[in-house]
Amino acid sequence: MVERLFPSCSDRWLSILRVGLALQLILYALSIRADWRYLLAGTGRGLVSRDLAEALLSLESAIIPRLGWIVAVGKRIGFSEATVLDLTWYGLALVSLFLLGGLFCRPAAIAAWFLHLCCVKGGGLVTYGVDALTTIGLFYLMLSPLPDRLSLDHLWHKKLSNPQSLGFWRRVLQLHLCVIYFFSGLIKALGGDWWNGINLWRALIRPPFDLIPADVLIRFKYIFPIAGIAIFLLEIGYSCFIWQRQTRQSWLIAILLMHLGIGLSMGMYLFAAVMIVLNLAAFGPGILWRENRPADAESCEAASLA
Amino acid sequence: MTRSRIALAWLPLHLFLIIAVCSRQLLWLIANGLTIIPFSGADVSAQTAKDISTTAGPKRTRAAKEALFAYLHSAGIEGAYGFFAPNVPENFKLAFEFRNADGSVEYDLPNVESRAAGLRLGSLLDKIGRSDSEQYRRILIRMLTSVAWENHPAAVSVHAVFGKLKLPSPVDYERGVRPAYEFIGAYDFERSADSNAR
Repeated sequence: MVERLFPSCSDRWLSILRVGLALQLILYALSIRADWRYLLAGTGRGLVSRDLAEALLSLESAIIPRLGWIVAVGKRIGFSEATVLDLTWYGLALVSLFLLGGLFCRPAAIAAWFLHLCCVKGGGLVTYGVDALTTIGLFYLMLSPLPDRLSLDHLWHKKLSNPQSLGFWRRVLQLHLCVIYFFSGLIKALGGDWWNGINLWRALIRPPFDLIPADVLIRFKYIFPIAGIAIFLLEIGYSCFIWQRQTRQSWLIAILLMHLGIGLSMGMYLFAAVMIVLNLAAFGPGILWRENRPADAESCEAASLA
Repeated sequence: MTRSRIALAWLPLHLFLIIAVCSRQLLWLIANGLTIIPFSGADVSAQTAKDISTTAGPKRTRAAKEALFAYLHSAGIEGAYGFFAPNVPENFKLAFEFRNADGSVEYDLPNVESRAAGLRLGSLLDKIGRSDSEQYRRILIRMLTSVAWENHPAAVSVHAVFGKLKLPSPVDYERGVRPAYEFIGAYDFERSADSNAR
């Protein structure tokens, strides 16, 4: 059991997670740059009040990180709310760049998690699935044994993490993904309209995901029931077949193609990107390409055993 | 060694919380008759909602619940993963009819600059549409209205119409049925006292 939870592995997956999430955060920040203040401003200054979202959040817990904390600190220093929101955007972009290069990996990962979480909770009324999945990724990244060998930190310090510790955090991410897909697939299977393909059709013609004209989609109407069933079977089966030697490669490729398809056909680029990053980090090394065990990883393992 | 022991103790708890949150959502969907499983248990879902409330109970219990919720949110595991499940939700729309003092009318929609923000606006309209609380819906619509009003400084009143898009099935679509908006509610606001929502 312990061996299964602490498998020795290289830090390739951690590099993918770090770089992937850094790019994800940069894209997130850039994609809503023009609307940043508008989405996150307090009462009377934005699309919908951040204060209301945070008041609702306080009903659950007063200690959940939120943008209001940063705004309050900024106001004490003498900054306006707009200035604090702008500084938060620049801060998020900056820590994402640090994370991308692998400079001050751990503090950058913690800061990225905190700033992103604050923005997500502050904009609680205008969030969707991609935000929770990015939080999950950043939470594990923050706790994982950084730095990895592709980071600038490693170039300077040459300090490597314990391979068992790397294996443990990769295993946590893998197990979490299995739970996500299992429940996502199961709940879909319990919705009657996934069996006849109507839900897939509705998802594709529903604004704002209707990138492909319905007149084009209707030509493929016979494929919808098959595709609908395939989607939930793929998701439910993920937690089982991703571990089998014979099926894991095809299952992972199928899941990656599914997310690519969602991204391209529905315009959910960020959602597709974060799922692809999490999947590649969790299962890519060793399945899609051979996982090299460099000499220094082995020496590190030997050192840890010693 | 100590780290490994902490990790070993933490992992089952963490996974238990993830599965508990997902299972709770699944049971809620079943209890509310939103799945193909024929079951009606509104009392069960109401009791579950009551159980997780952090607004009541002894101080110590409440502090523990607050800490638990803070952990769930911090780890991103406070919600389940039923994306477009069990069924694809309705699409909601809000439209404004601004009336000027001279009797002329201007039409508008809530809008954002980017497509990414557009997805978030759509998510907000979905939350408004799915809410059971008329008061909550009215508050959010009033907020969206007051933002849109800034683009119509001459308007003295506004008529906000909230509706949902009824999507046809593939068979109906072939028969010529097209997506059409269905009226849910209308809200009137005045410039002087915009709290006079109808």
